[in-house]
Amino acid sequence: MAGTALKRLMAEYKHDDPISPSVCSPGPANEENFFEWEALIMGPEDTCFEGGVFPAILSFPSDYPLSPPKMRFTCDMFHPNIYPDGRVCISILHAPGDDPMGYESSAERWSPVQSVEKILLSVVSMLAEPNDESGANVDASKMWREDREQFYKLAQKIVRKSLGL
Amino acid sequence: MVRAALVTATSMALTGAVVAHAYLLKHQFYPTVVYLTKSSPSMAVLYIQAFVLVFLLGKIMRKVFFGQLRAAEMEHLIERSWYAVTETCLAFTVFRDDFSPRFVALFTLLLFLKCFHWLAEDRVDFMERSPNISWVFHLRVLSLLGLLAVMDFLFVNHACHSIITRGASVQLVFGFEYAILLTMILTTFIKYVLHTVDLQSENPWDNKAVYMLYTELFTGFIKVLLYIAFMTIMIKVHTFPLFAIRPMYLAMRQFKKAVTDAIMSRRAIRNMNTLYPDATPEDLQASDNVCIICREEMVTGAKKLPCNHIFHSSCLRSWFQRQQTCPTCRMDVLRASNNNQAQAPAPAPAPAAPANAPAAPAPNVAPGMLPGFPPGVFPFWGPFPAVPPPAAAAPPAAPAAADAPPSSTDTTQAAGTSQPTSSAADAATSSAAAAAPGSAIPGFPFSFPPPPFPAAPWLPMPPPPPFVSSMPPPPPSLSRLTEEELRELEAEGRRGLEARLQCLQNIHTLLDAAMLNIHHYLSTVATLAPPRPEGGAAEAGGANREAASAGAESPATERDSSTSDPVGGATVSSQPADSTSSASDAERKENWDEGAADDENGEPSAAELRRRRLRKLETSPSSPTSPSPPPDN
Ligand SMILES: [Zn+2]
Ligand SMILES: [Zn+2]
Repeated sequence: MAGTALKRLMAEYKHDDPISPSVCSPGPANEENFFEWEALIMGPEDTCFEGGVFPAILSFPSDYPLSPPKMRFTCDMFHPNIYPDGRVCISILHAPGDDPMGYESSAERWSPVQSVEKILLSVVSMLAEPNDESGANVDASKMWREDREQFYKLAQKIVRKSLGL
Repeated sequence: MVRAALVTATSMALTGAVVAHAYLLKHQFYPTVVYLTKSSPSMAVLYIQAFVLVFLLGKIMRKVFFGQLRAAEMEHLIERSWYAVTETCLAFTVFRDDFSPRFVALFTLLLFLKCFHWLAEDRVDFMERSPNISWVFHLRVLSLLGLLAVMDFLFVNHACHSIITRGASVQLVFGFEYAILLTMILTTFIKYVLHTVDLQSENPWDNKAVYMLYTELFTGFIKVLLYIAFMTIMIKVHTFPLFAIRPMYLAMRQFKKAVTDAIMSRRAIRNMNTLYPDATPEDLQASDNVCIICREEMVTGAKKLPCNHIFHSSCLRSWFQRQQTCPTCRMDVLRASNNNQAQAPAPAPAPAAPANAPAAPAPNVAPGMLPGFPPGVFPFWGPFPAVPPPAAAAPPAAPAAADAPPSSTDTTQAAGTSQPTSSAADAATSSAAAAAPGSAIPGFPFSFPPPPFPAAPWLPMPPPPPFVSSMPPPPPSLSRLTEEELRELEAEGRRGLEARLQCLQNIHTLLDAAMLNIHHYLSTVATLAPPRPEGGAAEAGGANREAASAGAESPATERDSSTSDPVGGATVSSQPADSTSSASDAERKENWDEGAADDENGEPSAAELRRRRLRKLETSPSSPTSPSPPPDN
């Protein structure tokens, strides 16, 4: 009998309803390791990230779904809630009680009810509406607050880069 | 990869060149060796060659025991290696006297073996993640673990031997390090066995997590003991072992985590078994039957939380180990169950009373209502039977005080809603609050005349409205109330809880007193009204004088009944009642005077209006408990 985490991940993988037009089929990078998933995030429409296709990796802990996975964009990103190294910082990815930024209420934290699907949807909405209070990237949140135009320009640059242009 | 090959090739070539050069100079084996060891550049080259060889050996071993390393394993290995190298360098500074090629070689070997321990640990952890484990995997892990264990054991043995025969030396560090590695092998092996057993069985093994936990706890404890022993010995023999600080800290943190995990797990299991009912087949059918934690169907062994969410008991248990909330709705289950257990006597009546008061003041007024209350609920119940005589003796004040009962119920309601929150306040406030009703209650009947009534007994109440805002009306948001309350409760513990209970009871008493008050009032009006329905102000004034004489008897009667009261919340309640009853004497007199003055100067029409209003209120016949009018009325 395989571990709970593995079974749950397999269940989530098999349950592959089309999640949302913004997310491209998340799944294990290779069938040997179900604990590393790849996903492609489409920049949501009518935002500065529109048109971009951003690859990301989800790494699941061995006690998933008790602990949340980690998500990291593997392309360049410039966003208030994404660390310069690509790690995503949103409340759904934090277990209650661990709060690196100290702004999140525990209601939106990780719990086993959440899933890959919900994480990816949250990430899409995070791209659309940055939360400049919990600044994983201080420069980006500052620019988002103070110089929106410049932020849009940089975001467009990243979109082009993600498309390999 | 290419670079590694290049380095290997270069070092091979260099070594070859150095050795060839020496041999060409000396032509014989022994002089060549002597020459090589004497020449620093040659030695440097040879050292590098040695490291390269160790590196190559490591690669071969890795190929044999692990095959391809995964990215995560590699990352982990490199990170840990850096720490280990730093710590080794620190250790060198402590043992610079013993510094020798042999010493460096031993440290290198230690580091080398450590790497394999880490890799073995990671690999065994991976068993949980991989859908299929081949027999090669088992063979590799077992042989590696065996090999490492044997080597660790030999080194520990050697170190012990050397320390015993030659006294403390750098061997102390080695012996200790290998002992730590040995415990690590032990942990890994136990985990491996657990994983293997789990993989063999077809059904989920619920207790595996518990066994894992206790393994961690056990080996963590050994590690901490080892570190403490090592620290003590090192401080005594050498100096403070700076290089062991970080691993020691990590070991202690891990142990602490294991302990908390074990405690949480025990608690979770206990709660699971005692607090939450098994889900019935009907429950399972009513829900969608899928456990939200593991996303599998629930057939048996499901538990239902107080919020009606259903999960596998094993899934729930592992979640409760981390958090005591419902995974779906985040309701705090421990809090909920605590409330059910510990606070059962208090909150049950608490929401009921304030709910009753605002919703149905009229039924409360109804005399038949009063005896319906369970006697034990109100410790202050005692003084009440004493109240009737003076209250009933006050009929003359009644017309004037007709306003008072409604306003007093209002105040009572306000107090009723504000009290429960104030009860959450610290013991001081709540004890003060406990005293307040005591003073208020005996004062009740005597403060009939309108102006002093609301003012005198209610103002001294310590917990004023500010509390109201912090708590919404109790029953609808009871969960929120208890959450706040519990936070306090955790801080104050039992004492706070008791004070709170007391306070809640006081609220009841207050509400009750208000009801009783109205009740008395009605009964007095009932006795007064029939004979002289069109009674004027002058009559009221006359009756008032009668009340004064009746009131004089009251303290005695009151004291009697409060001490002889069989219900007797007695010890707590009778005392404030006593002390305040005498205190209220003075107050009472004032009130009479004022009341009398009011009535005599008051307009008859107003008095009549009040009386009519009261007659409307008086829907039911006077109750059995309604005090019989005093003899002189
Ligand atoms: Zn389950
Ligand atoms: Zn729930």
